[in-house]
Amino acid sequence: MKAVLLLLGVLALPAQAAWQWDEPLTVNTAIGAAIFPHLESANRKGIAVSAGTVGVVWEDNRDGTPQCYLAVKPAAAATFRPEVRLSRGECYEPVLQALDGGRFVVAWEENGRVRGQVWPAGAAHDLSTRAAAQVTLASHGRALYAAWAEQAGRFRHIVVTRLDVQGEALRVDTPQPVEVGVPVDEQGWPALAISGDGDITVAWEDRRHRHTVPLVSHSRDHGRTFSAPARLADTRSGSVDGLGAGTGAMRPTLAARGARGVVAVWLDKRDFLSGYDVYAAFDAGERRFGRNLKVQDSFGDNIAQWHATVVADGEGRLVVLWDDARDGTADIWLTEWDGADFAEDFSFPGGAGPGAQSDPIASLDPAGALHVVWLDRGDAAGTRVRYARAVRR
Amino acid sequence: MRSVRWLLAVCGLWVGAVLADPPPGYDFVGFDAGLAAAKASGKPVFLYFGRYGCAWCDHTNKKTFSDPELKKLYSTHYVLVYVDAESGRRVTLPSGERITEAELGTRLNAFATPLFVYFTPKGEKIMQIPGFKTVQDFRDYDRYVRGGHYRDKTLLEFLGGKS
Repeated sequence: MKAVLLLLGVLALPAQAAWQWDEPLTVNTAIGAAIFPHLESANRKGIAVSAGTVGVVWEDNRDGTPQCYLAVKPAAAATFRPEVRLSRGECYEPVLQALDGGRFVVAWEENGRVRGQVWPAGAAHDLSTRAAAQVTLASHGRALYAAWAEQAGRFRHIVVTRLDVQGEALRVDTPQPVEVGVPVDEQGWPALAISGDGDITVAWEDRRHRHTVPLVSHSRDHGRTFSAPARLADTRSGSVDGLGAGTGAMRPTLAARGARGVVAVWLDKRDFLSGYDVYAAFDAGERRFGRNLKVQDSFGDNIAQWHATVVADGEGRLVVLWDDARDGTADIWLTEWDGADFAEDFSFPGGAGPGAQSDPIASLDPAGALHVVWLDRGDAAGTRVRYARAVRR
Repeated sequence: MRSVRWLLAVCGLWVGAVLADPPPGYDFVGFDAGLAAAKASGKPVFLYFGRYGCAWCDHTNKKTFSDPELKKLYSTHYVLVYVDAESGRRVTLPSGERITEAELGTRLNAFATPLFVYFTPKGEKIMQIPGFKTVQDFRDYDRYVRGGHYRDKTLLEFLGGKS
C-alpha cells in the first residue's frame, strides 16, 4: 500500500509543483466534538475575494441550531477575523459574491426563505417572497444575479432574479421562473454563471424524467426570458429492461471562462458500479454545451467522488476540485484544464493526509491566485474550516 | 391555527416532493422519524438507501420486496426508513449533526444503489449491504441482526455457519 501511495505521490508531483501553497489557516473559532460546520451550498459558492479580502461563509450548530457565519481575512491580515453570525432563525447553505472594496453580497436560506444582505454595512432582508431554498449568486462587472429553488405548487422550480446594490442596500427584482408553468417534478440546486458577454447560464437538478438530470438554460436578455432547458449530461433517460428511468447525476456547478465561455462540472453515476464520477462540459459561447468529459484521472476511477466544484476566470484558467478516498481517507483533489484535457489529479499540503479533508470550495482572484476552503476532520476535537492560498510558480 | 395548517401543508408538500422510490405498500418513513420511532419502540432500523429512477432498486422492489412474507417480516420487526441518494432533504444523525440525505451517502461511502443499512434501536450502524439481494438474503440478514449475532460474528462467519 505504501508503495502505491508513494507512486501516486510521485505521479502527482508535476501538477502540484505548478502551484506554491501558503501555510493553511483555520477559519472557524468555535470547534468542538459536537459542532458541525458545513460548506454545502448551491454552486458551492461559499468563498469570494474582494480587493484582496477573502470572505468565507458556512453553517454550523454552535448555538444549538444551524446558523450561518461569515469570516473575512483582510488583504493585509495574516489570519481571519473572528466570524460574525448572519442569521437568527435556522439557516442553511449560505453563499457569497464579491463586490468592490472588500464588500460582499451574502445570501442564505433562513426559516424556509431566501435572505440576503450587503456585507459589512447592509441589513439582512428577505429576497424570496415564497418558500425557497438553495440560493446561489453570480456576477459579471456590475451585473449581479441570484437563483434559487422556489415552491411552485407541489414541487419547487428554479427562479432567477437580478440584484441591484445601491450603496449598502440590496434590491431584488421580481424573480423570473426559468420555465413558464408549474413544474411536474422536483427542481433544485441551481448554479449560475454570467459570461463575459453578459449572457446568463443557469443549471440545476431536475427530476421531470423520473431520475435526476442536470439541465441548463440560457438568457441573452438579462434574465427576462430563458431558452428551453437542455441536458448537460450526454446520457439518455430511459429504463433498462423495463427497470428504472436512467442513471443519476447531481449537483451541477458552473463557472464563466474566457471571453464568452462557461464550464459545467457535476457528479455523474453513469458508471453505476464506481460511485459518482466528476464530469465536465464546455460552452465556448454558442450557448450549447458539448460532449461530456470525465474529469478525475484513472487513479480515481474505482472510487466515489464527492463535492465537485469548478472555478475559472476570464483568462481561461480552470480548476476543478472535489474529494475522494483513493488513499484510504477523504482528501481534496484538484485538476487543471490544459487546453485539451484535464491534467493529472493533485492534492496539496493540508488538503490531504490523516483524517478526512473534504467539501472543497474555491475562488480564483483577479491575479490568478487560487483560494481553497475545506473541512478538516483530522481528530476527535472537532471539525475545522481550513483555508489555503496558492499562486502559480 | 390557519398559519399552522398552512405550515403543515407546506411541510407536507416539501416532504412529498423529495421522497422517491421506496417499494410500494411498505410503511417507509423519513430518517429522523425512523430513528425516533426505533428509539421509542426498541426495534432495529432497516434503512433503504435508494436513488430516484434507479434500475437495480426497481429490480429489488419487484423481485424481492414484492414477497408478502418478507413484507410482513420486515414491517413487523423493523422501523423502515427510506433515504433518497440525491435529495437535499435534511436528516439529523445520532451525533446531532444535520446533513442532507445526499450527504448521508458520502458518510456511508455509498458506492451504488440500492444500499441497505441496519441500525440498532439506538442508531448504531450494524452493517450495510449494497446491491440487489434476494428474499432469502434478507431473511438471513434478519436472523443475523435480530438474533444479535453481529455482536460476536461477522456476517460472512454467520452465513458460512448456516446450514
